[in-house]
Amino acid sequence: MLRTLTGLLMLLAALVPWPARADAAAARFVTVPGGHFVSSLLDGTRTVTVRVAPFAMMEEPVTEAQFAAFVRQHPGWQRGRIAPLFAGSNYLAGWLTPTDPGDAQAARRPVTAVSWFAARAYCDSLHAELPSWHQWEYAAAASSSSRDARANMIRRNAILAALMRATGQRPGLIGQRPANVYGLRDLNRLIWEWVSDYGAMFPDVNGDVGSAGSGSVLRLCGGAALAFRDPSDYALAERVAALSMLAPADSSPFVGFRCVRNLGDAP
Amino acid sequence: MKKFVQLLCAALLGTGLIAAAQAAEPAPLPATSIYRIPPLTLVDQDGHSFSFASLVGTPRLLGMFYASCQMACPIEIETIKQIERAVAKAGGKSIPVVLVSFDPAHDDVAALRKAAVQHGVSAPEFLLTRAMTGDIGMLGGVLGISWRPLPGGGFQHNVVVALLDREGRIIATDPANGRIAPAFVAAIVREERATR
Amino acid sequence: MKRILATAITLALGYAALASNVHASPLPAGWACTPAICGAPEGKPIVEQLLPPPEVPARITRHYPAKVIVNLEAREVVGTLADGVKYDFYTFNGTVPGPMIRVRVGDTVEIRLKNAHSDHMPHNIDLHAVMGTGGGAADSIVIPGHEGAFEFKALHAGFFVYHCAMAPAAVHIANGMYGAIMVEPAEGLPKVDKEFYVMQGEFYTPGAYMQPGLQPLDMKKLLDEQPTYVVFNGRVGSLTGDHALHAREGQTVRFFFANGGPNLTSSFHMIGGIWNTVWPWGGSNEDHNVQTISVPPGGAVIADMKLVVPGTFMLVDHAAVRMFNKGALGQLVVSGPEQPMLYRALWNRPFPPASAMPPAATSAH
Repeated sequence: MLRTLTGLLMLLAALVPWPARADAAAARFVTVPGGHFVSSLLDGTRTVTVRVAPFAMMEEPVTEAQFAAFVRQHPGWQRGRIAPLFAGSNYLAGWLTPTDPGDAQAARRPVTAVSWFAARAYCDSLHAELPSWHQWEYAAAASSSSRDARANMIRRNAILAALMRATGQRPGLIGQRPANVYGLRDLNRLIWEWVSDYGAMFPDVNGDVGSAGSGSVLRLCGGAALAFRDPSDYALAERVAALSMLAPADSSPFVGFRCVRNLGDAP
Repeated sequence: MKKFVQLLCAALLGTGLIAAAQAAEPAPLPATSIYRIPPLTLVDQDGHSFSFASLVGTPRLLGMFYASCQMACPIEIETIKQIERAVAKAGGKSIPVVLVSFDPAHDDVAALRKAAVQHGVSAPEFLLTRAMTGDIGMLGGVLGISWRPLPGGGFQHNVVVALLDREGRIIATDPANGRIAPAFVAAIVREERATR
Repeated sequence: MKRILATAITLALGYAALASNVHASPLPAGWACTPAICGAPEGKPIVEQLLPPPEVPARITRHYPAKVIVNLEAREVVGTLADGVKYDFYTFNGTVPGPMIRVRVGDTVEIRLKNAHSDHMPHNIDLHAVMGTGGGAADSIVIPGHEGAFEFKALHAGFFVYHCAMAPAAVHIANGMYGAIMVEPAEGLPKVDKEFYVMQGEFYTPGAYMQPGLQPLDMKKLLDEQPTYVVFNGRVGSLTGDHALHAREGQTVRFFFANGGPNLTSSFHMIGGIWNTVWPWGGSNEDHNVQTISVPPGGAVIADMKLVVPGTFMLVDHAAVRMFNKGALGQLVVSGPEQPMLYRALWNRPFPPASAMPPAATSAH
């Protein structure tokens, strides 16, 4: 009798999916107060003042460990099983297996080589979304001492230098630098981050998003100087150039993401 | 004790049956079918609601719009009509059109109906729809359409109209900006003929 | 009446003389497309053999237009800027400058551009030899791990710069992402004994000149157009010492010299030499007996010199501070017998000082 019961319980246990590994710590969100904000991207030649409503943003970019836990729980988003519609051949290309980044520091490394669709699906699993470009820009404008430090040339140069120093290497580790005044980390110097409206960053009505050769000549050379409020903010220009050239199914080794929750959404 | 064991066995059996039932799916969609996006329910200008995936089985033109759009969307709709006329002239039959709004907050059924009257389109050949549940961002992503709300109202966005085959694969796309691309018209004629 | 006629004739002749000077140099034959030169490609497609600078691809001996395939890869690499100094370069094919391309006028050139998987930025290419949107930049934007291609017809002969034009282009160029393409005229340039490929560029670093370590781009210095380094072929000492260029007395050498910038115009000069023939701007005009020639950023020159004496000749940007303090110096070592009839040292010795009284004034008129 007892043996039968034990056998049945063991059978039940085999059918129940175990929870994710303990090294994928839950993402923490911090509240970013709202405000008015002048975007660094122009609308044609007009300056854009955005009213940003308060929102909650993940403190840090999504880590490899967190994303590994997600694909273990949602196998349809694993490399090899993901629909070609949602990611090309470079999706999670550097991972050891479809569920294992093979990185001893996976808990502190930002996940990259994830497509826009996969990033959205991850955020969706947390009842969250990708930030809009304006939300991201607003959050990233803050330094550790000021809500809008974009005009600080020393800081601007340091950000560019940090991005240049990362040339050719895989992304660094999260948490090496102080948080900004909102409590957010690693927005500017670590990786490029997906935004929900990546394709609408340059006015390009009637263009096909993210295909090489099409699209606004604002993306090229001197034309880009017209699209920025301050064309000498090279780190911003590099980031915008990198993001605006992506198609949603692209997985790029330097592009990761974090999620936001618009306040008023259910947690 | 025996009853407990019996109940446990019944529960296990029941779970097994449900699992088996779910495993018996209809024929799988091709890997690149747009109907693979997470489920969307749409409602059209006449108030009929349906799932996006239920559109499978017929070639269609699929795009996105919003009802209060002043310039690009009217041009989009006008161009689609011109394309359909060109298809008829080329000896083909017009295929059904579905446009999905990316402004569900404002585009309720009344707004959709008003837009349909304004542009002279009617169901079921030309559906103006909004999503009731689901993630239209995913739809935009697979179509290559991106939008951003403008502070004064309206959206900054691009236009893509896709020709889907009966299984939902994107065969060709067109920017629907007033110019008729003969290659796109030819693709529609070919696809419609092939699935008669 | 006679006077009016004489005046009219004088004026007419004067005007004709003036007009003929305005168009002093017509385009030489073979420097632009004609139906004879620029027909459809013939023969099998040629895959361009790309060599690292300062090497130059072999001159073209065929007399028909061909399809030429050029394989380029955008690659962001950490490299050596000077002894002990590393820099984060953006390159074509891993070198600064990228490889020199050599085709013939009328060729159909297929540019294939890959962007290395390890790169962080999208890249593209704008070749000044191209008549087309962005010089090809519009149709060659590739994100890391992607490849793109476009094709153009080389309508005009000349020596042209190519560079990455991805926004922000000043950064991509400042990081070394440039090279050059020679479109040979139909009959080729006059044959010389040796050809070299050199490009000048500036680098802007927070650290001072020769300060060791990994140096990133300094945005403020770039905006102020105040470079730390002005160098040939991407590093201090690229053409000196063990890397000096070599030739023999009696040979004629040719420099394919271009300027990637991003900001400064080069005053291209060979210390101890005179350029016998230059093609200023890399165009079809020929000039002779030139000491120093301006090469603007995004510009080029072809310069030939017949070597008649031995010695070490310095290739420089004659803006003095750049050659002495920022690295714009290369060496051409010419071996051979001394030529005392052309140049010889005479003396070097002390001479007595002048006396306390000034010399008496001599009568002048």
